[in-house]
Amino acid sequence: MPTALPSFNKVGTSQSPRSATEADAIRLAQAGDAVAFEQLYQLHSRRVYALCLRMVGNPSDAEDLMQEAFLQLFRKIGTFRGESAFSTWLHRMTVNVVLMRLRKKSLPAASLEETTEPDEETGGPRKDIGAPDLRLSGAVDRVNLERSIEKLPPGYRTVFVLHDVQGFEHNEIAGIMGCSVGNSKSQLHKARTRLRELLQEDLRDQARAERHAAKTQAGLGS
Amino acid sequence: MQCEDIELFLEQEGLEPLPEEARAHLAECGGCRNYVADLTSLVDVAHKLPTEIAAPERVWISLRAQLEAEGIIRTPIPVAIPAESASWWHSIQAFFSNRGFAAASVGILIVAGAAFEIARDRSPRNSTGSPEVARQMTPAPAVTSSSPQQVKPAAPTRPQPSASFTAPAEFASTAEALDDQEPLATGLLASSNSSIDASLRDNLKKVNEFIADCERHLKEQPQDELTREYLSAAYQQKAELLSAMIERGRSIN
Repeated sequence: MPTALPSFNKVGTSQSPRSATEADAIRLAQAGDAVAFEQLYQLHSRRVYALCLRMVGNPSDAEDLMQEAFLQLFRKIGTFRGESAFSTWLHRMTVNVVLMRLRKKSLPAASLEETTEPDEETGGPRKDIGAPDLRLSGAVDRVNLERSIEKLPPGYRTVFVLHDVQGFEHNEIAGIMGCSVGNSKSQLHKARTRLRELLQEDLRDQARAERHAAKTQAGLGS
Repeated sequence: MQCEDIELFLEQEGLEPLPEEARAHLAECGGCRNYVADLTSLVDVAHKLPTEIAAPERVWISLRAQLEAEGIIRTPIPVAIPAESASWWHSIQAFFSNRGFAAASVGILIVAGAAFEIARDRSPRNSTGSPEVARQMTPAPAVTSSSPQQVKPAAPTRPQPSASFTAPAEFASTAEALDDQEPLATGLLASSNSSIDASLRDNLKKVNEFIADCERHLKEQPQDELTREYLSAAYQQKAELLSAMIERGRSIN
């Protein structure tokens, strides 16, 4: 007998009742119900994928990581007792999977304590003072922000994406990252400051390119 | 308050409403004022970034296959086999119980097959395809010089039909179009060790086996309309799988 083909297993073909709540879906999934697994996947996959994509920057790796995160989650779903929110548990696994992959790729060590770049000054992030041409207000858009987020060290990137993009609170991030609330706040501030520097560099590069283009144009016109 | 105090406050409390003394300092210190304004600006933009991005369907397809293979999904699908059934064809009946879906998929299938034909070079033997439908389709992305021509295609996974049975006449051009695309799809993922790609290859093998069984059965019983519907649905699935494999192979390569 041919094996059932996954793409034709539409939701609702199972005999199990539809679950209205996540708790019900978890309980049914713990019993091996296919519909319940798909419900949990559909509930969380978009946020998990968005997180993976922002952490690694390319869709192919993000898909692999997302699948790995859900696999680990569903393998262990029988152990979930509800002590923490399911979403927190899932995101913790996702972050661990992502950071493990980044470590294997020999990127800068991704633990929360090692989030500074090697050449960063000790004693706190730099702060440019009194330089009006470095103002970002009005110059930051989604494209250059996403580009700059990709350049952050993995630990900074994780906290920034979880808090300022995904909307997690510090107590949730602490649970996801396995750190204290104070640590989460501190790393977020450093991430924001580093992002500011990256955006300023980006703006300078753009301004330089525009000046060069203008000179070239002027030269051609004369 | 001094600049260092502003820094410390931001580190501990974030961009919360600043206390009176902090605001007084910002009123006098342009540097700190710019600093806070810049952080506020970039956080505002961050809040507008999409929190959810849809993943390709193939991820769930592959994930589900893996969960079933590991026995984590234990609820059997399709629906249970009738006790009086003597043939596995009857069990498939429940699986493809939505005839409307199966019938509607025929049209989609033919269009999907035509789309594959557009994506490859036309040769004299393909002139019997459906050129009218093909002209109406958006062409597939051009093949780059770095892809299929340099990739040694893997051996086709489709079980070669014997001389005694072939695709029914109404599916001939579609079957041929899909068979032509299969080496490209498998070749693009031949060197990948990803679990997603392994699942895609496995699913393709299964659908090819199912197609071969359907064709064999139709050869024996040409009037079996139910099997004909199953076959059209299987071609649709194969088209979707090959499309997913090609798309994924191009993104990897």
